[in-house]
Amino acid sequence: MAMSRQGARYLLLGPAGLWYAALLVLPLAVVLVYSFGERAAAGGYAPAFTLAQYANLGSRWTAFQNTLVLAPAGTLAALLIAYPLAYYLAVRVDPKWRTVLLVLVIVPFWTSILIRSYAWIYLLGGRGIPQLLADLGLGDWRLINTPFAVLVGIIYGYLPLMVFPIYVSLEKLDKRLLEAASDLGAPPWRRFVQVTLPLSLPGVATGSMLVFILLMGEYLIPQMLGGGKVFFVGNALVDLFLQSRNWAFGSAMAVTLVATMLVVVTVYMRFLKRIGAARDDVGLM
Amino acid sequence: MRIYALSVYLFLYLPIGIIALFSFSAGRSASQMQGFSLQWYGKALSNPFVIDALKTSATVAFTSAVLASVFGTMAALALAGMKGRLRALFDAMVYVAIMIPGIVIGIATLIALVTVFDGVNPWLEPLTGYRLSMGFGSLTAAHVLFTMSLVIVIVRARIEALDRTLIEASGDLGAGPVATFWQVTLPLLSPAILAGFLLSFTFSFDDFIIAFFVAGSETTLPIYIFSSIRRGVTPEINAIGTMVMGASLLLLVVAQVMLRRAGGNNRT
Amino acid sequence: MQDDKAPITRQKFIEELLRYRKGSVTRRHFLGVTGLGTAMAVMGGGLPLLSPRRAFAQGIGDQVVLATWPNYHDPANFDAFAAETGAAVQVNVFGSNEEMLAKLQAGGSGWDVFVPTNYTITTYVEADLIEPLDLSKLPNYDAASFEARFADAGTVDGKLYAVPKNWGTTGMAWDSSKAKAPFTSWKEFFDVTRTDFSGRTMVHDYQLTTIGNALKYFGYSFNSVDPAELADAEKLLIEIKPHLFAISSDYQPAMRNGDAWLTMCWTGEGKQMNRDIPEILFAVGKDGGEIWSDYYAIPKNAPHRDAAYALINYLIDPAVNAREAAAHGFPVADARVNALLPPEVLSDPILYPAAELLNAQEFGAAVTLTDPNRAEVMARFKSA
Repeated sequence: MAMSRQGARYLLLGPAGLWYAALLVLPLAVVLVYSFGERAAAGGYAPAFTLAQYANLGSRWTAFQNTLVLAPAGTLAALLIAYPLAYYLAVRVDPKWRTVLLVLVIVPFWTSILIRSYAWIYLLGGRGIPQLLADLGLGDWRLINTPFAVLVGIIYGYLPLMVFPIYVSLEKLDKRLLEAASDLGAPPWRRFVQVTLPLSLPGVATGSMLVFILLMGEYLIPQMLGGGKVFFVGNALVDLFLQSRNWAFGSAMAVTLVATMLVVVTVYMRFLKRIGAARDDVGLM
Repeated sequence: MRIYALSVYLFLYLPIGIIALFSFSAGRSASQMQGFSLQWYGKALSNPFVIDALKTSATVAFTSAVLASVFGTMAALALAGMKGRLRALFDAMVYVAIMIPGIVIGIATLIALVTVFDGVNPWLEPLTGYRLSMGFGSLTAAHVLFTMSLVIVIVRARIEALDRTLIEASGDLGAGPVATFWQVTLPLLSPAILAGFLLSFTFSFDDFIIAFFVAGSETTLPIYIFSSIRRGVTPEINAIGTMVMGASLLLLVVAQVMLRRAGGNNRT
Repeated sequence: MQDDKAPITRQKFIEELLRYRKGSVTRRHFLGVTGLGTAMAVMGGGLPLLSPRRAFAQGIGDQVVLATWPNYHDPANFDAFAAETGAAVQVNVFGSNEEMLAKLQAGGSGWDVFVPTNYTITTYVEADLIEPLDLSKLPNYDAASFEARFADAGTVDGKLYAVPKNWGTTGMAWDSSKAKAPFTSWKEFFDVTRTDFSGRTMVHDYQLTTIGNALKYFGYSFNSVDPAELADAEKLLIEIKPHLFAISSDYQPAMRNGDAWLTMCWTGEGKQMNRDIPEILFAVGKDGGEIWSDYYAIPKNAPHRDAAYALINYLIDPAVNAREAAAHGFPVADARVNALLPPEVLSDPILYPAAELLNAQEFGAAVTLTDPNRAEVMARFKSA
C-alpha cells in the first residue's frame, strides 16, 4: 500500500472539507461578525462593535411572530391533510395502482414552486374562487394577500414532503398486527390508536421536521400570496439586503433565525426521543 | 376514504391544470382563456432568454450534481467506520448544511464572497486583467454545499447497510483495495449515488432563493420566471411551466427505470 | 396576414405602424403583416438553440443586459436592435431604485445599461458604481434639446454620467366606477383607503414614494428626513396597513383584474391602464408628490460596454424614442422626440398635468434615498 489508510482518508475528505470551510464556516463567520457592525452611510456594512442590531430585533417582532405561528400551523395542517392520504395509499389502495398514485403525489412537487404559487394568485384572486363564491350567493370573500392565502400556498407547496415519509412508515406496518388486534376484538378506532398511529410516528416526525425547517426560512410563498402584507422572517431578511441595504441588521436577523431554528429543532427532537418516535434518519434531517 | 383521496388529488392538480389550460390560450392574458393556440409554446421556445436561462439552469444543475456526487461519495467513504473528533466535526457540518435555511445560505454566501472579492480584486485585476465576481462559479459552489451534504447522507446510509463480508471476501480473494473499490464497492453504492445525483440535480434546477442572491449576472430559469411574473404575465410562463413539468415527469420515469435496473443488478 | 412574405407597400407599412402604435393591433400582427417578423427570423437564424448566433460586423458582442422598470419599453425596438447589431437585449425588471442600488452595491450585477432616477445618480458616483459617459459613442445625444430640469441630474461635478430617458410624476390611479368622487390629493388617497376603499388600495414597495406621499398627507415635504415628521408618516402607514390590498410596485395586474381599486402609480403606467380600461383614471396630488426624471447610465465594469453604448445610442435616436414613447406612454424630455409625437399626446392631461399641479411636485433628493431612518421606517411598516 503506497499510502497510509489515514492519508487516503484525508484525501477523500479534502474536497468536502474545503467546501465546508469556504462556503459554510467562512460565510457564517462573516455573518456573525457583520451582525455586530453598523449600516454604512449609503447602505451596506461598516465595521463596528455594537449590539444595536440585536437590540433592534424587537421592531421585526411581527415577522418572527408570523413565522412562528404560520410555520407550525402550516406544518400541522399539511400533516392533517397528508396523513389520511398516506394511510389510504399504504393500507387501503389496490397495490397495482399504488405506484401510479404515489407518482401522482410527487409530480406537482416537480413543478417550480413559483409557477404553482402563481396559479394560486389567480385562484384566490378576485376572478377565481371569490367570484365563484359570490356567484353562488355565498358572500364577498377576500382571499388573496391574507394569512389564509399564505397558509394554502404552504400546504399546497409542501404536502408531498409530508405524504412520503408517512407513507413509508405505514407501508412497513405489518398487516398481521392489525388482524391480530381485530381478532382480539379491538374496534377500528382502537386498532388505529394503539397499533397504526404509534407505528407511523417516525414518518410523522420526519415529515413534520422537513416541512417545518423549510417553512422557517420561507420567502417565496408569503411574497407571492401575501402581497407584501404577510411578512415572514425570510421576507424581512430579503428586504434588509435588497431594499434597505442594512447588512449589519440583516446579519443579526439571520443569526437569530438560525439560533431559533436550532433551539426549536433540538427541543422537538428531544420530545420525539422521549415519545420513542425518533428514527435514525430524523437525526440526519 | 376514496372520496377523500380524490379530493386531495383534485387540490393538487387543479392549480396545475389551470396553468396548463391557460398555456393554450390564444390571448395575451394569463388569467383568461381566449381561444386555443400553441403560439405561446412557439414563443417560449424561440425566446433567446428562455433558452439561455434554461441552459444556465441545466449547466449549473449538472455541474453541481456531478461535483456533489463525487465529493459527497468520497467523503461518505472516508467517514464510514470513522470515529473521533474529525467524524463529529463532519457530522456537525453535514447537519448544519442541510438544516440551515436556503435564504441564510444565500445571504451569507453573498456577503462573504463580496467581501472576499473586494479584497482580492484590487490585487488580481492589475496582475491578470480578471476580476472575480458573482456568477456561475458562486452559484454552483453554493448549490454544491447543500447537495453534497445530501449525497453524504444518502451514500453513508447505503454503506452502513452494505454487506461488509463482500468487501472482505474480495480482499481474501487477493484483490487490492483499488480493484475492490472499482469492482465491488462502487457498483454496490451506485444506486445510492445515482439517487443522490438526481436529487441534487432537481434541487439545483429548482432553486430560486440561493440563486436570487448569489447568481450575480446569471439568470436561471426560476429567476427568469420570477421576473416575468413581476412584469405582468403572458401565457408564455404557463407554457414554460407546462413544459418543465412534462420534462420532469419524463425524467422521473427514466430515473425510476434506471434505479430499478441498478437495483436489479445488485441483487444478482 | 396569411403570407408573411408578401411585400408591403410603404403606405400600408405606415398605416400599420400607426395602428400598432395606437395599440389596436398586436405586435405579432404588426410583425406578421409588415414582414418584419420574417426579416427578424431570417436575421436571427431561426431558433437560437439550433444555430450559433451570427457574428456581426460591428463586433459589439451578441448580448446586452438592461436593468429597467416594468412596462417601460417597446419590445419591438429590442428586436429591431438585435436584428441591426446582433446583440440580443436581456431585460431585467426592477421595482425600485433601492433594489437597483442594493444589487450594484453587492457587485457583479452583470448589467450593461441601467435606468437610474434623478436622485440616485450622485450616490452612484460617490460609491464609484457608475462610469462617466463617452459622448463620442453617443452621436444621437443632443444636450441642447433637453429641458434643463430633466437633464441636470445626469451631470455630477461637471462630468456627464447619465442621459435623460423619460420624465413623469408619481400620482394615483383609481377605478372611477367604484369611487364617489375623483381623487385629487394624498389626503384623500389615505382617507378613502381607511373607509370606502378598505382592502382595495396598493402602495409602492419602496420607501421614497410611499413615505413621501404619507408625508404629504400631513403637508410635510416629500423629501423630509425630519425624525418627528417621519414618525407621523410611519404612524399613518401602520394605521392604514390593514386596509391595504397589497404593498407592491407591480400594481397593473391587480388594477386591471379589479382586485385593487386605487394605487400609487407612475404617469405612463396610469396612461397604459387608462388606454385599455377607460374607467381607470390618473391624477397627481394637488398637495404635492413626486416629479422625476429617469436616465440611461452604464455601471462600472459593464461586461458588454460597447453594446451598452450602442443600445443607449439606439434608444435615444429620436425616431426610436418616439416609438418607445408611443408604446409606454411616459413623457419624453427630448424636444426632437416631441416634434415627432402626435399633438394629442402632448396635450394629454394625464401625461402633462396643468402647470400649477406640476409646480406642487418635488424632485426626490439624494438624501431621501440614502437616509437610514426612511429605510428603517419603511422596513418597519412592511414587517408590522
